[in-house]
Amino acid sequence: MAKRKKTPVQYAAALEAREAKQILRITPPEGVPLRFERASLMARFGAQFLDLLFTYGMLFLIVLVVFWSGAMFWDTAMAFFAVTAFLLRIPYYILTELVWNGQTLGKRIAKLRVIAQNGRRLEPHQVVVRNLMKEAEVFTPIGLIFSFEAANGWVRAVMALWLLVVILVPIFSKQSQRLGDMIAGTVVINNPRIQVAFELTEASKAVGDRFAFEPDQLEHYGRFELQSLEQILRENSQGKDAFDRDVKVAAAIRKKIGYTGPVQAAESRAFLAAFYAEQRAHLESRQMFGDRRENKYHRSESDN
Amino acid sequence: MTAQRDQIDLRSVRFRKEREPGWKKLQALVERAERTGLHGLSFEEAQDLTATYRQTVNSLSVAREISLDQALLSYLDNLTSRAYLVIYAPQATLSGLLVKLFTKGIPQAVRRSAPALLIGFGLMLFGALLGYALVQQDSSWFYTFVPGELAGDRGPGASRAALEGTLFGEEATPQNALASFAAYLFSHNTQVAILVFSLGVFWCIPTALLTFYNGTLLGAFVAVFVEKGLGYEVFGWLSIHGVTEIAAICVAAAGGAQLGLATLLPGRMTRKDALRVRGRDATKLFILAGLMLIAAAILEGFFRQLVQSTELRLAIGWGIGALWVIWLTVAGREGR
Repeated sequence: MAKRKKTPVQYAAALEAREAKQILRITPPEGVPLRFERASLMARFGAQFLDLLFTYGMLFLIVLVVFWSGAMFWDTAMAFFAVTAFLLRIPYYILTELVWNGQTLGKRIAKLRVIAQNGRRLEPHQVVVRNLMKEAEVFTPIGLIFSFEAANGWVRAVMALWLLVVILVPIFSKQSQRLGDMIAGTVVINNPRIQVAFELTEASKAVGDRFAFEPDQLEHYGRFELQSLEQILRENSQGKDAFDRDVKVAAAIRKKIGYTGPVQAAESRAFLAAFYAEQRAHLESRQMFGDRRENKYHRSESDN
Repeated sequence: MTAQRDQIDLRSVRFRKEREPGWKKLQALVERAERTGLHGLSFEEAQDLTATYRQTVNSLSVAREISLDQALLSYLDNLTSRAYLVIYAPQATLSGLLVKLFTKGIPQAVRRSAPALLIGFGLMLFGALLGYALVQQDSSWFYTFVPGELAGDRGPGASRAALEGTLFGEEATPQNALASFAAYLFSHNTQVAILVFSLGVFWCIPTALLTFYNGTLLGAFVAVFVEKGLGYEVFGWLSIHGVTEIAAICVAAAGGAQLGLATLLPGRMTRKDALRVRGRDATKLFILAGLMLIAAAILEGFFRQLVQSTELRLAIGWGIGALWVIWLTVAGREGR
């Protein structure tokens, strides 16, 4: 018994820890907290790589055009390149993030965005700071990698240490921020995607009265199970894999709640839809009375 | 006892039916605003945007209480987040930002950063004095401080005539001036300034070392010329752009010192918060340093070779230095 009681707590704690790592909560002035997904480090790396590709690709194109047309003297061309190379470094990132509200070209493609950690608008100062730090965190380390061969003993050690710090800080940061983000107070998030979803209970109306549930059959599950079922119902229902899954899930539910009525294999999906509607109605009405049921362990919790 | 299918009338479903038109309207407005910017909306549309945004925020708050439909919740969450990002997007124009930065931001930041500036200028001065003293005692110290490519033909072995030639050369043509301007701007001193600033985060140590080292470089240079009796001339030669340029490195070092002080002495704040607070002034110091470097590059590229009299060099160099000081001490004072 003691063992069974521990499981839901651990389980809830694990879920919570995972959410804290992935989800950033920001409270805008309207006072309703919003949930933002933190961008993964790989996605950020990809966006940075794209930006480097664009800026240096652009520089390369300019070089080609200038040489090809032969429009400038050698000295002037060199000066022109030096200025362009300078502009395509940090100013590129600052200007794009200012104009596109926290997105560079690379971030637009990777669907990432910089936002202020405190829930206010992203300030120009923050954009400038986080991108100035790119010099120490991106450009210099890239230079270091290329000059690693040429360096000697202790210089190499310092270089390796620098690279290590720059790589490890975002990995171990609680908010997955790099140093520039920490100083500027910014976070990189996945740009929220608006996906319209239809109302599932509308679909279950078509099923009619085919399946009926006793009230005590609805006491078993909680929010988590309901939403897992919702996910199944919103997924693709075509094909053999989906069919087998529906049959299996329907059988598991029938066993758990003790549903004895006949359910043909072909009706599994209809059964699931009907059960979803009933279960949701039940849980929502319990919630209205202040009885929130997080998951199927809600009974053992209320025993305490 | 069977529940009647037709009687299932979920509160959350009714709620959704009632509010959904508003959400759709907001979605359309947000998608348009993202494409065209907020100025692409008419006055009524902008009003609608904020009104439907508030309604949707409210819907989200209610839905979190009464609905268990995960898809609906995440739809509302994402819609509100997108609208929030559109509505709380930066409103300032680029030109407005620049004007504010120059008239208020930078001068005020400089006046707030006296201790950091003291560190920057102090280290440079201390380094210069040390470099000068050491090279005066034994000129072989020069090669310890100055890397070959920077020294050119200005080492201790050079003759007085050769040294004088480097101070009053006449190789300037307009074509050359631009090239040397750019080459100069993006070479040694820019890198030093960037490093001195951004490495400040690492507890000030790299910043202090680099600034100090650049001071010794300067001191060693001057010592070589003084030894040959060219002290006054080299002072003029350095002054025309050096007043601005060396000050720029010191200002960048002060910015780095601000960051370093935040990590070294965060006070009652966490280090992260301290970095955020001090980072504001540090950035402005860095932008100032960048401006000064560009100004110095123009002075170096166009004027140093054109202006050949030491008195005029002194006047231009220190005159421009005085202009910097006046701007930074006078601008942006708010009346009390």
